[in-house]
Amino acid sequence: MSIQFTRRGLAAAVVLPVLLATSPAISQGDVTITHYFTGELGKKSFDEQVAKFEAASDFTVKDSPIGHEDFKSGILVRAAGQSLPDVFSYWAGARVQFVVDSGSLHPIDDMWNREGLDDVVAKSVADSATMYNGNRYLVPLNYHYSGMFYNTNVMADAGVTEFPTTWDGFLELCEKLKGMGVTPIALGSMNRWPAQFWFDYLLLNTAGPKYRAALMNGSASYDDPEVVRAMEMWASLVDAGYFVPNANADNWTDASDRVARGEAAMTLMGTWITGYWNGIGLMAGDDYDFFPFPAIDDGLPTSVVGPVDGLVISSNVQNVAGAEAFIAFMVSDPGVQAGWTKGQGALSANTMVDPAEYNAVMQKANATVAAADHFAFNYDLATPPPVAEVGLAMFAEFMNDPSRSGEILAGAATAAAEAFTQ
Amino acid sequence: MERENRFWRIVLLALPLAVFAVLVVWPLFSSFYYSFTNWNGFDSRYEFVGFRNFAKIYTDKLFLNAAINTAIWMVAAILLPTLLGLGLALLIDSRIPGGTIFKSVFYLPICLSAVVVGQIWVWIYQQDWGLLNTVIWTVTGERPAIAWLAKPETALGSVIVAWSWQQTGLSMVIYLAGLVSIQEELLEVCEIEGASAWQRIRLVIIPLLTPATIVVIALSVINSLKGFDILFIMTGGGPFHSSDTLAMHMYNESFRKYLMGYGSAISVVLFLIALTIIRIYFRQLRKLDEIHG
Repeated sequence: MSIQFTRRGLAAAVVLPVLLATSPAISQGDVTITHYFTGELGKKSFDEQVAKFEAASDFTVKDSPIGHEDFKSGILVRAAGQSLPDVFSYWAGARVQFVVDSGSLHPIDDMWNREGLDDVVAKSVADSATMYNGNRYLVPLNYHYSGMFYNTNVMADAGVTEFPTTWDGFLELCEKLKGMGVTPIALGSMNRWPAQFWFDYLLLNTAGPKYRAALMNGSASYDDPEVVRAMEMWASLVDAGYFVPNANADNWTDASDRVARGEAAMTLMGTWITGYWNGIGLMAGDDYDFFPFPAIDDGLPTSVVGPVDGLVISSNVQNVAGAEAFIAFMVSDPGVQAGWTKGQGALSANTMVDPAEYNAVMQKANATVAAADHFAFNYDLATPPPVAEVGLAMFAEFMNDPSRSGEILAGAATAAAEAFTQ
Repeated sequence: MERENRFWRIVLLALPLAVFAVLVVWPLFSSFYYSFTNWNGFDSRYEFVGFRNFAKIYTDKLFLNAAINTAIWMVAAILLPTLLGLGLALLIDSRIPGGTIFKSVFYLPICLSAVVVGQIWVWIYQQDWGLLNTVIWTVTGERPAIAWLAKPETALGSVIVAWSWQQTGLSMVIYLAGLVSIQEELLEVCEIEGASAWQRIRLVIIPLLTPATIVVIALSVINSLKGFDILFIMTGGGPFHSSDTLAMHMYNESFRKYLMGYGSAISVVLFLIALTIIRIYFRQLRKLDEIHG
C-alpha cells in the first residue's frame, strides 16, 4: 500500500510540473502582445503608451518585444507553432496581405465602425494600409516618410543654402560636397533594407507609380528597360564616388552616425532616424534636416515612400475584447499618438494629432507627405516576402559591384518570376 | 525488488524522454512531413506536393552554393582547430615559460557561447575601428578599408577563423590530456637513438595520440554540423549568400521567404548528409578501435 502511495506521489511529482509548465499563466484580463519597437525604435515610448492603456482600462498587457530584424522570423516561428499573441505589430502592405491570405488574422471591421475610426484615421492611410481582401485587419500605429536626411553643419560649411529639387541639381550638390572632401552619401546596407529606398525613388521618379506597382505584383520584369535605367542611374552615383565605400559593412545606425559626425553629408532614410538622432542629443533643425528626393522625369506624380507600422489581432486571439480595446486605444487617443510618434520619430495617422506637436523637421515631413500625389510602401512591404528576398539580395550584390548590374538584374528577373509562382 | 527497480527506472526516465520526444523527435518527424507540402509557415491550409520540393533542390543554384560552402566550412572547421590544437598542445607540453597561463588563455574562448564569440569577432573585423584593421594600419602605416564580413571573397573565411579561434582550445586540452599518457622514457629512448624532434613528433607522438585525435575529430564533426549560430551572428549568410551554408539556406527559405515546405526539404537533406557523415565516421572509428585494441 505504501508503495502504491509512493508511486502515485512520484507520478504526481513528475506530471504536475509538466502541467504547470504547459499551462498559460494568463488571466482573463490579460492581453498578450509582441512587437518590434525595441531599442532605438521606441521601446521606452511604447512602454509609456502601454502604461496609459493599462491605467485607462481593466486590462493588463503581457508584452514580449523582439528586436526588429529577429521579429521577421520570430513572428513566423510563433505562427508556425500556433502560438501567436493576441496582438502583434506588423508592416502594412504585402506582409499583412500575406498573413491575411494565410487566415492568421482576426478582422476588425466591427471594432473599426464601433470606435468611429473613419473619423480618426487619415483616409489616405486607411485606404492603403488597413483593408485586405475587403475587410479591415490593421490599425495604423504610425507611419514614416523616407527622405534625404542631412547634417546641417556640413551643408552650411559647403555653402549650400538651397537644396536640389531636380536630378541635375542633386548631382551638382554631390560633386560640390565631394570636392570639399566630404562623402556625399552614407548608406548602411548590411541588413539590406536601407538600400531599398534608392531603388524605390529612382524607379518611381523615372518609370512612375503604375510601372512600379506592376513590378511589385509580378506583371513587369526586373530586366525591363525601366528597371535597367533606374539601376544605371544608381550605378552612376556609386561610380562617381558619391557613396561611402563598403556600404554593406555598415548598418543603418552606422550610416546615421557617419552623417551625425560629419563624415558623410546625407543619407536616404526613414523618419525613424530623427528618433535615433534625438536620442543621441542632436537637435532637429539645428543639427539635422532633410530634403525630399529630387524629381527626375517630368510629368510623373510626386511620390513619397515609407512604411506604415500597424497593430493586428491574430486569428487565435484569446482575449478579443482586450485586444480590440488595446489597438483602438493606441490609434484613437491623440495624447497616446502624440507621445508615441514623438518618441519614435514617426508621423501619426490620427487626424486629431496637432502637427504642432512635432518638431520642425517632422512638421516638414508631415507637410511633404500631405503635398505628395502618391504614397508608396517601401520595396520590401510592396512585394510578396519571397520576392522581396530576391530584391533585397540584389541591392546588396549591386552595392558590392555596380558594374555587374546587368547580370544581377537578369538573375533577379529569373528568381523573382519563380518566387511569384510560389 | 527487481520489479520496483524497473518501475523507478521507467519513472525517472519518463520526464527526460518526454522532453526529448517533444523537442527533438517530434520536430524531426514534422520536418519530414512538411517537406512534402507547400506550407508557408503561417497558413493552416497546405497541399501535399509529393517530391516537388526535393526536385527543386536539383535546380536551386543557391542550394548548390550553400552545399559548396558547407563542404568548405566542414573541412576547415575540422582541420584548423585540430591542427592548431595539436600545435599548441605540443608547445605547452614542451614546458615553455608561462605554459599554464597560455593553456588557460587558449581554453577561455570555448567557455563563451558562439553568439558572444561571433559578436567579439564582428568588432574585431569592423572596418573603421576593428582590431584587425587597426593592427594592419599600425604595421603597414596605411589605413586599410577592408570590410572583412561585407565582401563575398572574405566573409566565409573570416567566420571560419573566428570559429577556429573558439574551437582550438578544446582540441588543445584533449591533446594535452593525451600527451600526459605518453611515457617520458619512450621519448628519452628515441632521443638517445638519435631521433630528431620532428621525427619524435611524427613517428612516435602523433601515432600515440590517435585516441585523442579520434575524440577531437568526433567533436569537431559534431560541432561543425551544428555551426549555425556564429554564422547567423556574423554574416547571416551574406553578403548576398556568399557565406550561406545549408543550415543558413534552410533558415532563409523557411523564415525569410516563408517557404516552410521547401525549407523542410532542405533540412531533410541536411539531416541525411549528417547521418551519412556520422555513419562513415563511426565505421572508421570501429576499425581504429580494433587496431588500437
